[in-house]
Amino acid sequence: MAADPARVWNEEQLKTEEVPKKELIKFIQDNAAHSFLAEHKLLGNIKNVAKTAKKEQLIEAYNQLFESKRFKGTEVELVTEEVQAVKIHDTPKESKTEAVDEGPPKFTKSILKKGDKTNFPRKGDTVSCWYSGTLEDGTVFDTNIPASAKKKKQSKPLSFKVGLGRVIRGWDEGLLTMSKGETARLEIESDWAYGRKGLPDSKIPPNAKLIFEVELVSID
Amino acid sequence: MALEQLSDVVQRCQAIKDESFSPEDYDLFLAAGRTCIEQGDSAQVLSILVDEKNKNIVRCMGWNLLGPLVQMLLKKEDKNLPHCHAILSHLLEVCSPKELLVGLLEQVEEADSASIAETVTLLLKPLQTVLLRLGVKKASSVGMALSTLLSQVARLPVPVTKEQEEDDVFGLCRCCTALLKFVKPFVEEIKEVVKDNNRMSRDNELRVELLKFCMKSLSEPLLEVQLKDPDTLQKSPLRDFATEILIILSNIGESLPDLLSRNVLKRREVPGFLEEEVRYPKESLACMCHLLFVDHIAVDIFPAVLSPIFVLQCNMEYIELLLSRTEVSRLQKGLELYEKSLVRVEDNSLPVDLLELKTFFSVPQNLVKVMTLCPDQTLRSKGLKVFQLSIDKFTTEAKYKFFRGMLNTSHHAGVEGYIIKNIKNQIDFSLKPCNGNDWFLGKHLLPLLRLVLCLPHGPETDLLQNLDRIMESLNLLRYMLIRDKEWENETGIWTELYKIEDNYLKPLRTGLNMSKAHYEAELKSMKEKKISSKDSKASVCTVTVDNEKLPNMTPEMQIQVLQSALFTFDLIESVLARIEEIIEAKERHLS
Repeated sequence: MAADPARVWNEEQLKTEEVPKKELIKFIQDNAAHSFLAEHKLLGNIKNVAKTAKKEQLIEAYNQLFESKRFKGTEVELVTEEVQAVKIHDTPKESKTEAVDEGPPKFTKSILKKGDKTNFPRKGDTVSCWYSGTLEDGTVFDTNIPASAKKKKQSKPLSFKVGLGRVIRGWDEGLLTMSKGETARLEIESDWAYGRKGLPDSKIPPNAKLIFEVELVSID
Repeated sequence: MALEQLSDVVQRCQAIKDESFSPEDYDLFLAAGRTCIEQGDSAQVLSILVDEKNKNIVRCMGWNLLGPLVQMLLKKEDKNLPHCHAILSHLLEVCSPKELLVGLLEQVEEADSASIAETVTLLLKPLQTVLLRLGVKKASSVGMALSTLLSQVARLPVPVTKEQEEDDVFGLCRCCTALLKFVKPFVEEIKEVVKDNNRMSRDNELRVELLKFCMKSLSEPLLEVQLKDPDTLQKSPLRDFATEILIILSNIGESLPDLLSRNVLKRREVPGFLEEEVRYPKESLACMCHLLFVDHIAVDIFPAVLSPIFVLQCNMEYIELLLSRTEVSRLQKGLELYEKSLVRVEDNSLPVDLLELKTFFSVPQNLVKVMTLCPDQTLRSKGLKVFQLSIDKFTTEAKYKFFRGMLNTSHHAGVEGYIIKNIKNQIDFSLKPCNGNDWFLGKHLLPLLRLVLCLPHGPETDLLQNLDRIMESLNLLRYMLIRDKEWENETGIWTELYKIEDNYLKPLRTGLNMSKAHYEAELKSMKEKKISSKDSKASVCTVTVDNEKLPNMTPEMQIQVLQSALFTFDLIESVLARIEEIIEAKERHLS
């Protein structure tokens, strides 16, 4: 086990402007056990903590930390709900709610053509792909691949930021498993596609399983 | 006479070198030429104009004849038409394109409302010919032409019924169809350019002009038009126009999904950012979304893989815009777009953090205005229907937050009553086995109930004005006391009851008694006054609306109003009494 963290500042230094609140908070957050932080109300975004905690309280906490030696790794951490819930905060204009539910993936992938196996998209990357989508009975309900090769030169593949909930879940999850240049067949169950509603305007009936052939052209 | 004058001036000008014609020459040519054409001597004018010797003269002065020529063509007198058309064709070939453009556009601009359609359909082909002659420098001229043309076409009345669209009396359909043919060569040219998707091709002047044209068309006339579906009207020029506009957008390199999400995904500041804003007017994009998602226009060039929640989020920006207007057509489209976007989303799926987005707050506010203030009854009803639909789509936590927000901000008893009814339904749902949640049971319910079970102004609250709210909240309370057994107390209502009695039931009882007493006294004195005084026309107050005095209420009417108020108080009282009964019964039971 690593040695206990050392006291970086003495009493005098703590009281002065030399040690700003945010730095003090950061130190305590970095070194104290989770339960200690919770008790002293020092969990969360440093800016917010700085707003609610007075300097005196922080100095008090700092001293207590060294007295009680309740450093990280010294206690069985109780993983609370806050730590477990995956909440991604981004620019306020974008709503990204990640479903916390785990469960088996509701799609299957078979590789039709291998990609470079090195470049995989990460959440937030912009991917471009050619695709065609069919229902189980073979009806093509959507494609962006034009009929002739000449027209394909004039069209552009579909571009979007992957993993952010802008497309159906089967796509978000499926594309993250593909590498650049790969062409794959994705069979997506209705839960991760259009569910009970379907998309009548686009010929997708309720509870429809969708089959896509997707070619991942580029990742940015 | 005029013909001789024309021959004379032309002959004289043949001798002038270097085309240094004087202003008098121009005037004479124009005056004589105009008269000849108007008199019907177009054949002779034609032969003068096509004469090789007069080539330079025609090139410099010919375009001035456009005005009278076009007027003649519009008259459609058979004997003159072929010659006039021939003159026009010749001029289009020979004169300077820039000058021809000015002349033609002037004719379009000056067309009076009765002849807009005729003028536009007549001049579109000539304009196209002239613009194509401009070669690579045509972009700004194309833009000018499109802008002028659209401004005139936008003045044409929009057909409302399918018969009107079929008859096309004012020519809007004809003009739209002709406009599509007009822009075709320019779109083809741009298709080549945008193959390389770079900044230069995006800023290509001609592309930008075509983009402006599409955006302007979406705003006028398309936003005003109510498209008929293929079952109602199989062949619809307006539907074709709308479809083609979206296809053109796609062909000039505008991705429809990107246009959809423009206002939601704020881009980083790029050079010319402000210009980008101007290029994509929100109203035009709102129309585009309505076309895509309500009228299903061009749906086969729009990808089917977008997540319904994301599409809703994008559309909220446009719904907000449409619902903030007062014209029936805008409100109708806003409600339709909202409804269609909501229907695609599963019930209980919209998460609470969506409520942090500005539009998810402002749209319901706009919707409340429609439901309460719009003079059109169909829109009010539809507004309410969509309002309930939107509530159904929220998760339980989001519903809670939404109800709390609405109770705090709507300031309208009817809306509050409606929300309270929804709260009751949610509590009912939560009490069913396996539906328990923290929001409509447990610790969060009571703070919400405090917002419901209160009188805004204590015992002095105007009970009549707040009737809807009060009745719903009493119904809610009565329901909870019956449904939630006091020994189970799942909702916590029983422990909270003494507070509710003090803060709500007692002041309500007081207010009720006061109001009843007051109105009963009023009624009594009215009746006495009626019997005693012969002159029952005297009124206590007058009401003026819009500078017109409303007819005075007769005593009979006044009595009716007072009685109706008393009846309302009885209604409230009956529920209140029942609640007091239930409470008393439980207390007796416990003691």
